[in-house]
Amino acid sequence: MSTTSPAPAPVPTLDISQTAPVPFSRLVRVEWRKMLDTRGGFWLMIATAILLVITVGLVLLVVALNDDPIEIGANGFSQILTIPLSLLLPVFPILSVTSEWGQRTGLVTFSLEPNRVRVLLAKVTSVVLLALATIVVALVLGALGNVVAAAMDGTDVVWDLELDTLLLTILLQLLYFLMAYAFGTVFLSSPAAIAVFYVVALMLPLLVYSTLYAIFDWAQDIIPWIDLQYAMTPLLDPDDDATTMDGLRILVTVLIWIVTPLVIGTRRVLSSEPK
Amino acid sequence: MISVEGLTKRYGAFTAVDDVSFVAQPGRVTGFLGPNGAGKTTTMRVMVGLTPETQGRVTIGGHLYKDIPNPGLHVGVLLDASAQHAGRTGREILQLGATTMGLPSSRVDEMLDLVSLSAAESRRRLRNYSLGMRQRLGIAHALLGDPSVLILDEPANGLDPAGIRWMRGLLRGYAERGGTVLLSSHLLHEVEQIADEMILIGRGKIVAQGDKKSLLDHGQAASSLVTSLDNEKLAAALAAKQYSVEVAGDGLRVGTDPVEVSRTALEQGVLLSDLRSGAAGLEDLFLELTSDTQREGHPAAATQQGAIA
Repeated sequence: MSTTSPAPAPVPTLDISQTAPVPFSRLVRVEWRKMLDTRGGFWLMIATAILLVITVGLVLLVVALNDDPIEIGANGFSQILTIPLSLLLPVFPILSVTSEWGQRTGLVTFSLEPNRVRVLLAKVTSVVLLALATIVVALVLGALGNVVAAAMDGTDVVWDLELDTLLLTILLQLLYFLMAYAFGTVFLSSPAAIAVFYVVALMLPLLVYSTLYAIFDWAQDIIPWIDLQYAMTPLLDPDDDATTMDGLRILVTVLIWIVTPLVIGTRRVLSSEPK
Repeated sequence: MISVEGLTKRYGAFTAVDDVSFVAQPGRVTGFLGPNGAGKTTTMRVMVGLTPETQGRVTIGGHLYKDIPNPGLHVGVLLDASAQHAGRTGREILQLGATTMGLPSSRVDEMLDLVSLSAAESRRRLRNYSLGMRQRLGIAHALLGDPSVLILDEPANGLDPAGIRWMRGLLRGYAERGGTVLLSSHLLHEVEQIADEMILIGRGKIVAQGDKKSLLDHGQAASSLVTSLDNEKLAAALAAKQYSVEVAGDGLRVGTDPVEVSRTALEQGVLLSDLRSGAAGLEDLFLELTSDTQREGHPAAATQQGAIA
C-alpha cells in the first residue's frame, strides 16, 4: 500500500524574535534549588549543619573540661571546621550532575535548555556558591566558638587566622567540590561517583597515604604529586615558605583529579543521550 | 508546524528510524501510531534535541529545536512522565519548570487546576504518584509555558478511561485554538478518536499516513456485507454484473460498495434486512500495515487492547 504524501502546504513558522533566551542567572537559581529541594538534599544539609554544631560543641566541651587554658584560636577553629564541611557536602556537586541521569530529570532539563554547556556552567556556578555559602556559615560558627572559648578560659580572644591561610583553605574546599563535580560528570551515576570520590578524597589520604608517608621515603616524594591535600599542606603551614615545587605539585594534582575528569566528563555529558 | 524531513537514526547496525518524513500541521492533532519499538520515541527525542540524528532533520515552525530561545515557551514536551526526581513534590517539579521559563508561581497553580491535581496531591512526592497522576503532572509541565506546539509521547498511558476522555477534550480544544499537537501511542483506539491525521510507523519506517478516511479508502477493494430475504436471487443478479459474491454467515460478501448492492437489490425487488460496508476497519489496516514489522509473531497480541475497544 502506498502512502499519501503530505500536502505541500507552506510550513507555518514560529515567531521566536520576541523570545529572549533563558538568562544564565535563572539557570543558576534553578540548579541551586534543585540541589536542596529533594528529600535527600534537605537531610544532607541538615546533617551537615548538625555536624558543624557538634564539632564546635565538642571543641568548647574540651575547653570547658580542661583546667588549663587551651588556646584554640581562629586558625584552630578554621582547621577543625573544614572537617565537617568536607565530609558530606561533596555529595551535592556529585548529585547535581548524576541525578539528571539516575533520576532521569535530564529529559526535562535538557529540553528546557538544549545548550548543555550552559546547564553544566550553571551547575558549576551553583556548586561553587553552595561551597562558599557553607564556608561563610562555618566561619561565623567558628568565630562565635572562638569568642566563647576565650571567654570560658578567661583569656583574650586570639584572631590568628591569616588571610592567606583562609583563602587557601577556601580554595582547597572549592577544589574538592570541583573534583566531586568532575567525578559526577565522568560516571553519570551517583553510587559510582560518590564511591570513587570518597576513596580518592578521604580514604586514600587518611588510611593509605598517611601510612606510606610515615614509613617510606619514596612515598614522601610521590604522594604530594598525586594527592591534593598533601600538595596543599606546605602552603597551609604559615611557618613554611612556599616553593615553586609546591606550586607545581598543586598544578599536577589539579590536572590529574580535576581538569582531566572535567574534560572527559564534559564530553560525556555533551554526547550522551539522557534516557 | 513540525516538519520531519528524511530522518534516519542508526545505533551501530540497528536502524531505529529509517528515512521518516511527515508534517504535523497547526490546528490539527497528529497521531503517531506504531507498535512498541517502532521508532516513535526516538523520532520525538530527535525533535527536541535529546538524541542526535544520523541523517535528515526536524524543524519546528521552521527552526531547529536547539535554536529556539527559551524553548519551553514555544514547545511543550512530555517524553516520559516518570522521568522526574522521585524525591520532589509535584508542585516543586512544576515550579522548577516555571522558574526556568521565567513564569510566575501563579502559573503553577493554574496548571495544577487544569489537570485536576489537588493542592494536597501537589505536595506529595513523585514516588507516591500513580502513573495516571504522573501523566497529568507531565501534561501540566508541557503546558506551563503556553506553547503553540505540543509533543507528547504516550500521554494516555496509565490514564483511566475518564482521564483519557479528559485528555482528548483538552488536546482537541488546544488544536482548535490553533495549536499543533503530535502525540504517540501504540494503541489505535486511543488515537483514532482524537487524531485528525495519523502517521503509522513500524520498524522505523512510515507505513501509511493520512486522515482516517483516506487511510481507509486507500488501496482497499470495495466490499459489502448484505443479508436479504432472497439471498440466492440477489447473488445471481450481482454475479451477473461480474461482482464477486460469496456466502458469509447468513448473508453474502460482495465485491462492490453498498450503493451498488442496494441498486441491484432495488432492480431485482429484493428486500434487504442488512447492508453495510465490508471494508476492513482501521484496526485491520493497522495490523496489516505493520504485520511484517511486528515484533511479536502474532500481530494480534500488540493491539489486544484495541480489539477490546
